[in-house]
Amino acid sequence: MKRSTLVDAAFGCYPAWWRERYEEEVRAVSSDLIEAGRSPFRVAINLFGGAVRTGTFAKGMPKVYELWATRTRVSIASATLPWLLMGPLLLIMTSGQSLHSSLGRVLPPSLPMFGNPDLELIGKGAGPFVLAPPLAPAASTVIHAGLAISILFLVTFVVMIAGWSSLREAIRSSDATNRRRLRLLVWVPAVSVLLDIALSIVQSKSRPSIYGSLTPNGPSVALNGHQGVVHALGIVLPIVAIVGWFLSIVCIAIAAKRVNAAPVDLRFGRSVSVVVAFLLACLLTAYVAWGIGLVMQAREAAHGSFTTLSYTHQGLWIPVVVLLSITVVASAFFAGTARRSWKVIASDRWSAGATALHT
Amino acid sequence: MASKRLGRTQDATNLVLTSLSAGPKHGYAIIKDIEDMSGVSFGPGTLYGVLARLEEEGLVEPLEADGPRRPYRITALGAAALRERLEANVKVANIGFARLGTLGS
Repeated sequence: MKRSTLVDAAFGCYPAWWRERYEEEVRAVSSDLIEAGRSPFRVAINLFGGAVRTGTFAKGMPKVYELWATRTRVSIASATLPWLLMGPLLLIMTSGQSLHSSLGRVLPPSLPMFGNPDLELIGKGAGPFVLAPPLAPAASTVIHAGLAISILFLVTFVVMIAGWSSLREAIRSSDATNRRRLRLLVWVPAVSVLLDIALSIVQSKSRPSIYGSLTPNGPSVALNGHQGVVHALGIVLPIVAIVGWFLSIVCIAIAAKRVNAAPVDLRFGRSVSVVVAFLLACLLTAYVAWGIGLVMQAREAAHGSFTTLSYTHQGLWIPVVVLLSITVVASAFFAGTARRSWKVIASDRWSAGATALHT
Repeated sequence: MASKRLGRTQDATNLVLTSLSAGPKHGYAIIKDIEDMSGVSFGPGTLYGVLARLEEEGLVEPLEADGPRRPYRITALGAAALRERLEANVKVANIGFARLGTLGS
């Protein structure tokens, strides 16, 4: 990349209001500095830093309600939407539980959410009631952390639904001309979930339940159901779910950016973003504890006869911790921005629809 | 090297206000003045971050632009704020020098 292109790219990182007000001046200063011998690379890096500070603190941003309201809305969306990415991922990561011991496979295949059943060894040819070694002590950390992840997921989901309802309400009460289109956008997540449920039901209903042989010594085949539909939905359903999931995130982000929300809706959205950022941090703590528990129980099993828990995707624990940490930092950062922006709006006692209220 | 490091930690607000206290200046002139005065090299991103904040706080004000270069002037509020800050710095500096003198003896 050419160095002048780098300087241009740095200017592109500044918000529109800043570019309108300062870009011409700062370009002139940058050119003067480069002509005087300052490295264009150094100038560009300094401009990038300035763009980050301007985006974070919005110093000098005109006191125009629309600008501050947009900033608040974008911050709320940026603080809450990462959860939509990470929440389901964590549920996938902590699913696919199985039990193993040094003596062989153990039943039941996974533990119930509450209670601890007798663990039974299988495949030893000694009947169904041979007790397996006890669970490793650290497995209780894994179980409790897994439970905490599920509870935090549900609580955050409820908070997100409250935020989604507030966004719907904000669109309903706004006087925007594109209100109908925004309303359609905000319904995309609900439609996506309903479609997933409908397809799952169709798949379940199409699954064969009766098997038998058509000839006396022939192979066992399905006597009812629609195998073709089950197979096709096995491919289509994950694609629909993933596309719907990403589409939901994009649609909510667009709606949140464009709706001309009233201060009361912004205040609620700000609270939702702060709560979601906090719950996401709790989710990270629980997930870290879950992974540490897995490592500890493996060590305990290496030094004694214990049954341990294992999960299909536990090998991805560290990359997911890194990804989740970045998400938590981003979410907390944007929740802070939403809080600060809301404070500016509240301190100036602006009302919805007003433009230049502060001179 | 030590003076350079001390320069880097100096308060950017004080430097910009001190520069403008000598009269209105545009961005490049402020950067050069600060460099001559303290050895601190401001970048354009840093300078305009400070200027935007000072303008918002009413400590400086922009003047009519001369082409793409817009001069800035310190306001009465800015001059009072600078005086207050410098007096606080002088007080700390005097105490520091006095203590260094005690250590020296």
